[in-house]
Amino acid sequence: MTGWHASDDLVTRYGDGTLPEPDAWSLEKHLESCGHCAARVSHAVRTTPAGVVLAEVRGAVLGAAPAPAPAPAPTGAGVAVGAGEVPAGAAGVAVGAGEVPAGAAPGAVPARTAPRPSLPSTRARIWSSRYLGRPSPVPRLTRVLWAAGPAVRGAWLPAVLLVAVGAVVLAYGAGFAGTRPLLLAVAPLVPVVGVALSYGAHADPLHEIAASTPAAGLRLVLTRTVAVLAVSLPLLTLAGLLVPSSGAPGAAAWLLPGLALTLASLALAGYVGCRTATAVTGGGWLCAVLVPALAAPGGRLTARLSEQLSYCLDGAPAQGGWAAAAVLCAVLLAARRPAYDRLERP
Amino acid sequence: MTTAAPSSPATSGEPLSTIRVAGLSVRHRRTLALDSVDLDFGPGVHGLLGPNGAGKTSLIRVLATVAAPTDGRVELLGDDVRDHRRRAAVRRRLGYLPQEFGYYPGFTVREFVAYVAWLKEMPAADTPAAVERAVARVGLADRVDAKVKTLSGGMVRRVGIAQAIVNDPDVLLFDEPTAGLDPEQRVEFRELLRELGTSSTVIVSTHLVEDVAAACTEVTLIESGHVAYRGTPESLTALGEAAGGVGDNPIERGYTAALRTHRASPAPALAVEGTAR
Repeated sequence: MTGWHASDDLVTRYGDGTLPEPDAWSLEKHLESCGHCAARVSHAVRTTPAGVVLAEVRGAVLGAAPAPAPAPAPTGAGVAVGAGEVPAGAAGVAVGAGEVPAGAAPGAVPARTAPRPSLPSTRARIWSSRYLGRPSPVPRLTRVLWAAGPAVRGAWLPAVLLVAVGAVVLAYGAGFAGTRPLLLAVAPLVPVVGVALSYGAHADPLHEIAASTPAAGLRLVLTRTVAVLAVSLPLLTLAGLLVPSSGAPGAAAWLLPGLALTLASLALAGYVGCRTATAVTGGGWLCAVLVPALAAPGGRLTARLSEQLSYCLDGAPAQGGWAAAAVLCAVLLAARRPAYDRLERP
Repeated sequence: MTTAAPSSPATSGEPLSTIRVAGLSVRHRRTLALDSVDLDFGPGVHGLLGPNGAGKTSLIRVLATVAAPTDGRVELLGDDVRDHRRRAAVRRRLGYLPQEFGYYPGFTVREFVAYVAWLKEMPAADTPAAVERAVARVGLADRVDAKVKTLSGGMVRRVGIAQAIVNDPDVLLFDEPTAGLDPEQRVEFRELLRELGTSSTVIVSTHLVEDVAAACTEVTLIESGHVAYRGTPESLTALGEAAGGVGDNPIERGYTAALRTHRASPAPALAVEGTAR
């Protein structure tokens, strides 16, 4: 500590509560390491009306304490901080009388810290609280959830379940025949939406912090996309298997398009950001499937949708095309790795 | 405007710079947030002062490798961060507290900090102990298993500080770290800053001039995208006493005096070079 000590004026003004807050804080900091000044401040406070209350508290505590109390008197540390625990008197001014170092406390009675039972001393030395026991390891399941990202943890997962369960309910509960084509039309959008909700400032509350870590960029995007696919592919395919076919392509026919659209979203995200990219690919899919079905003349809408889906999904050429698109997008992704580091332009 | 300043190795006698910025410009759509800024930082605590919109956050975000500079060169820990492989290595040794950050509602303090440790690719075996230590250093050891959403604003900010220091970073960037902390917590935070500054390069962007006076070894004042002043808290205080700026204490007067001098000066870049060490 330097040779600085509190002036008499400072001590007096602290005691009567006229010292401005910042100066009081600074003085209290000094008191933590200077027993001499702590004793002077303590003396000054005891001459104020608060001193009477403090003396009463001190008497009551010492009276209640077991007679032989060999605990050593605490040194300067913690002298000023107990202020919040003193019941009355000038607010923020009082110094816990029981904690004043020896010299201020006459007689051989050891000074004991005296928190009142009803007021736990949570405020004392907030920042320097000590280690609490052994560190507990993070369970493996938690790590998997971390990898899953915001989409799978957040509102997206219930949405996927709703689509899957809704399809089954619609088919059997309401007896709606066109469930399979409807599901096939919606299913490829689900992972795309999942990707949109996985990465970027708009989707991830932790993005600003995550973006400064080595995990940021393609690695995190891919980890989260895998989680999105791992949830949506089996769930929606299972739902598709459960509902009657009603002339639409097979339940698994959407898998390659779904994958291709997801990869296309990621590839595009390297140029225009996650949100725009998913809007383009998702919107593109809807246009390709719904618009011709709506525009085509004759027949029920579900029948036309089935026909359009068959055209997009059925047969080796269609599926081969989707597979080729998926591979192409994967190659583009790998080639443009660095672009994913900063999807948000300043 | 210097596009690619030649990388000059640290000459002998000059203290080793962990952060080197040359000709840095950052443009947000039409406004120029930083205009060809040259700065060097070494180990210690550096206060970044300046009015709102001066470019402090833009500088911190570029240094955190979150935002890409429009122009110029940024070298962190000896590596050019434009190279994405080197950037990953630099990011492992980086700590960043953004001005505003969110959290996942279900996370506890421990999970939040451990999650960031995981993002920072810390070895899984070291993570639990590092998390405990970081949380204890910001004084939240007794709240380590509390949900972050149940904490007060000041406590959330301390959780943010804990995630920034969990990997014992060599470069630490704090954007408005004392916002939301009460006076006592601020005093404690300054102590932590001084401790961190003994081994790391700590950059603290703040509005609170007194934080700088209490905890920083160096001050950099930024005003409308330019470096307006560089020096120590003592030199800024001395300037305030000599030039007589507006303010309640000497360093505040120094701050306003330096700002006025900068605004009055037609060639700010020259003033920068004159005071940079």
